[in-house]
Amino acid sequence: MFLKVQLPWNVVIPAESLDIKGLMLQKSIVVRLLDEFASRKATKDLGYLLALTTLESIGEGRVREHTGDVLFPVVFSGITFKLFRGEIAEGVVHKVLKHGVFLSCGPVENIYLSKLKMPDYDYVPGENPVFMNSKMSKIEKGSTVRFIVIGTKWLESEREFQALVGLHADYLGPVS
Amino acid sequence: MSEKGGKGFSLPTGKAVKSSLKSTPSTKDASLKGKDDSSTKSKKGRKVQFDSEGLHEPKSNFSSKFDNPAAASGKADWGKGGKGDKVGNGRKKEPQPLELKIEQELPQSAKCLMDCEAADILQGIQEQMILLSKDPTIKIPVSFDKGLQYAKRTSHYTNPQSVRKVLEALTKYGVSDGEISVIANVCPETADEVFALVPSLKTTRSVLIQPLKEVLSELTKLKQST
Repeated sequence: MFLKVQLPWNVVIPAESLDIKGLMLQKSIVVRLLDEFASRKATKDLGYLLALTTLESIGEGRVREHTGDVLFPVVFSGITFKLFRGEIAEGVVHKVLKHGVFLSCGPVENIYLSKLKMPDYDYVPGENPVFMNSKMSKIEKGSTVRFIVIGTKWLESEREFQALVGLHADYLGPVS
Repeated sequence: MSEKGGKGFSLPTGKAVKSSLKSTPSTKDASLKGKDDSSTKSKKGRKVQFDSEGLHEPKSNFSSKFDNPAAASGKADWGKGGKGDKVGNGRKKEPQPLELKIEQELPQSAKCLMDCEAADILQGIQEQMILLSKDPTIKIPVSFDKGLQYAKRTSHYTNPQSVRKVLEALTKYGVSDGEISVIANVCPETADEVFALVPSLKTTRSVLIQPLKEVLSELTKLKQST
């Protein structure tokens, strides 16, 4: 699910890029913020950081003693994406294995749908293996599947999420 | 014995008893202190209670030990630890229903967006991207494109504002922000579909069903013609 968030952030402007003109200072704060925002990738609470929408406020700068850099506390709004337990979402299958399939959903790339969580479907081996149910509904590489999120896990080192999903409710499964 | 018996009698009435217990032997100043004590250290007060109760009863030794964790004999500690563990395990083993509880997980500074709202905003940003990409110092988050693609694919409505307006009618029936977003994202055709996909709404089904049907028929009017 997409989230609209408001975040406080500390932007450090190196002494050499400080300018007399106020406008330039504001620009360098924004550029710096965008840079840090982009490299942060995701946070545990808010999920994947997608875009910065507005800069709400720039606080008073504080000079750092030894370097002469200036730290500006800013508040901005942005959009993030996070999967929640119990949420309904759609994913695209990118790998079919004997015991289940892997999907991606927006920025979340490792979503596992186990065979156990889609009891109606059976594995059909072959060059392009698929999962199929009695109504000939197919889950194969490239198909879009609507699922319910069973759980998520935050990986601090990779700064990304993994998720387990299932199809064990009505109205879930491949979408055309 | 008569004194102890008296204390024992006054026990069951609770807080008032504690202060009276402490204040009886002392002057007015002390009684003030006693009150303070009883309000701040109510546990201590209870201990006193139990001790006297213990004396009153034949099993005095056992009960006083039990109530005296401060003195903490090894046995008492074990007992406590064991209890705690059991409770913890019990909670873990209880299968939690697979329901949406976004509000509990989300910090206050964050709000749920419907996919169509997100698509609207992200698309607006992408239109400025051509201009932004001329400046190499401006970096775009890696997840931006994937997020935009996802939002485009899953947004079924063209006018997010009116979708929000229609769905907000459900908030007065206790439907949460997260639930509203999920409803908008799945673009349901029937009320049954909504209850199947958002099981947390089932508890208020009888109240919800009529307004939900109205909302769904409003929503179909707003659907993208594809």
